[in-house]
Amino acid sequence: MNNTFAVNIIHRPEMVPEYAEKVTGQGKAEDIGRKALLTESLDIFKFQQATAHKNGLKTTIQMTYASLFNEEAIQLAKDDHEKYGDEIALSLLGLPCKEFREKYNTKDFCIWMFSMEDKMQIVDDVFGKFHEIFGFYPESTGSYYMDAELTNYIKEKYPSVKCAVATCWEEGPKAYHTCNNSWYTLFDGGPWNPWIPSKQNTHAPAANEAEDSGIVAIPHLSRDLLACYDGNGSNFGTHPQNVLRGMIYDSKTWEFPYFYNLVDQYRHLEKFNNGYSYNMMFVGPGWLNKMGRWEAPYELLKKSYEEGMAYYGDLKKEGKLVDMTMAEFADFYRANKEYTEPECALWKDILYGSDKQLFWYADPYMRAQINMDQGGALVDLRPYAAKLKWEVGIGTKHVQDASYPFLIQEKYRAGYFTHYAGEGTVRSAKISYNGEEVDLCLCRTHAKFKQDGKARKLILDPVEIEFDDLTVKLQTIITFEEGASNIKFERNILEMSNPNAEVTINEYMVACYGTTEYPEDMTGITLTVAGDGKSESIDYAYKCREAEICGGNAASAVIPAIETAVSMTTDMTDAKAYIREGYAFSPMFTLGIEKKVKDKEVVTTWLNLAKAN
Amino acid sequence: MAQSSKGKLNYRCPMCFFRDLDIDMFYDKDKQEYYCLRCQYTGDEKDVLAKNELIRMKYGKMMERITDFD
Repeated sequence: MNNTFAVNIIHRPEMVPEYAEKVTGQGKAEDIGRKALLTESLDIFKFQQATAHKNGLKTTIQMTYASLFNEEAIQLAKDDHEKYGDEIALSLLGLPCKEFREKYNTKDFCIWMFSMEDKMQIVDDVFGKFHEIFGFYPESTGSYYMDAELTNYIKEKYPSVKCAVATCWEEGPKAYHTCNNSWYTLFDGGPWNPWIPSKQNTHAPAANEAEDSGIVAIPHLSRDLLACYDGNGSNFGTHPQNVLRGMIYDSKTWEFPYFYNLVDQYRHLEKFNNGYSYNMMFVGPGWLNKMGRWEAPYELLKKSYEEGMAYYGDLKKEGKLVDMTMAEFADFYRANKEYTEPECALWKDILYGSDKQLFWYADPYMRAQINMDQGGALVDLRPYAAKLKWEVGIGTKHVQDASYPFLIQEKYRAGYFTHYAGEGTVRSAKISYNGEEVDLCLCRTHAKFKQDGKARKLILDPVEIEFDDLTVKLQTIITFEEGASNIKFERNILEMSNPNAEVTINEYMVACYGTTEYPEDMTGITLTVAGDGKSESIDYAYKCREAEICGGNAASAVIPAIETAVSMTTDMTDAKAYIREGYAFSPMFTLGIEKKVKDKEVVTTWLNLAKAN
Repeated sequence: MAQSSKGKLNYRCPMCFFRDLDIDMFYDKDKQEYYCLRCQYTGDEKDVLAKNELIRMKYGKMMERITDFD
């Protein structure tokens, strides 16, 4: 798979595009059967298809339910399949149309939000109609999110399906807020690049054949791994109109180099993934509205689409891109990837000019973000090891919230900096000497990536910690061992201005759980510290209690609400392990291991994740 | 006073955009100004466009073509 930049181009003939009725229909009574709306939608689809083909790119045509009632849309798909080899697939987006509304008596349109009973009925309806028209069942499907129960049902009933658009990366509370709290796509916490979802939870990749849902999932768009984490995802993706929505273009020249930088940084990810990299472009017709969108006139919308597609076309001509249909990509992915092989991304800021660098890691046991601008602190952690069953839709406990819960999320739970009191979630280390203390979160640095067999290492540039009368040069190395469900942190004391000095390294993790910015009830969590033949536990009750064991080698927490066990361990015999309960104003817990070290010594700890039943 | 409507393009409130909110503005043809339903911003088209340029100041590398990703 060396040097393969795989690209999926997807179009959908959406007869009632999202936004179009709300935007172009402003001042008119709602009528989703308006002929002008249907005609415009098809025109946009034709334009998108023609633009891809002009650039020598094949597409996946995701037929919508509405389009299955439109003869012209059906014929267009058949013709393009015949002429260009485009795949005819079936989207679960684009449900709204007169026929759907009359049949289901609802304005709901997001498949994951329906009751399971309705999901099954709708799937059978659209797959049945598709088969009636095309004479076969599709190999690819998708939506903005596909919950595990939905995917499992589809795979069981329609085994031909092998690929699905299954999430939009980090589209959660941030997108909800950007849309004035009216866009209910709440599914943070998934992988950013393709993966094989587990049967238990879509976000969490399968660890083996038994967990394999049977499909290859692809994300809806390829998102900026830095900008999207602290901003509206729909401004920073491989979707030219997203870039316009973010106003990331010159308003006079209409140039938008950021889009190309984004594509190229995704191509660069081959360095960390055995030569493979990926992009997905999927622009819904509502974004190419003839009346313009997001301050941009139609001419600019059109130009951006044409130029974005032309860039992919040029890369293909240069032999730097392989365009695939979704089904072809699923075959390629399965032929080249192993279950436990992680997805890695050492990512730099390409938009704001900050010089910040992040590292993202995802495998069947976790998704993690390391922030080099905070000294290699772990600032986002999703414990996939729990493979949490998290049903969504009407009739479940989570009608809209499909996010995979976090243990650490620096934007929703403060991270290093908090106001006045309390702590935020982060996993870092504090170095202390003679009453002074420095957190590595304040030691800005960069890292290099290294792969040693099954180990992916992040080797950070050394940092200098200045105390009143001592300078310590320290290097952090973070290792992700494939299939190990842990992260190893090594702090190497490279140099001390006083070789006889002794400093204390406090390795700590402040964590909680949740999916949004708002706190959850921590009652039920059990904290345990152990080692040296001793053990002590605290049942969380917001009482600000602490416990420690000198000679301890493990501090752990069991969080029943998300069936997760997390621990910090060490192989050092002379360390101190501790646990700290939080309080109502700081609903967190802390796990830590503390050790005194001298020059040239190393402190090694592991953060471990497991399912807790 | 007649009701407001969307303008010729759906201009968003620049002040809300600064705080990561996409709020389409409405146009008051009597006062010849756009206004935001959520915050207190009002302005004519020229002012909206000028504020939109200010928004871009947060994108320090917006116009730079980057070739080195290491």
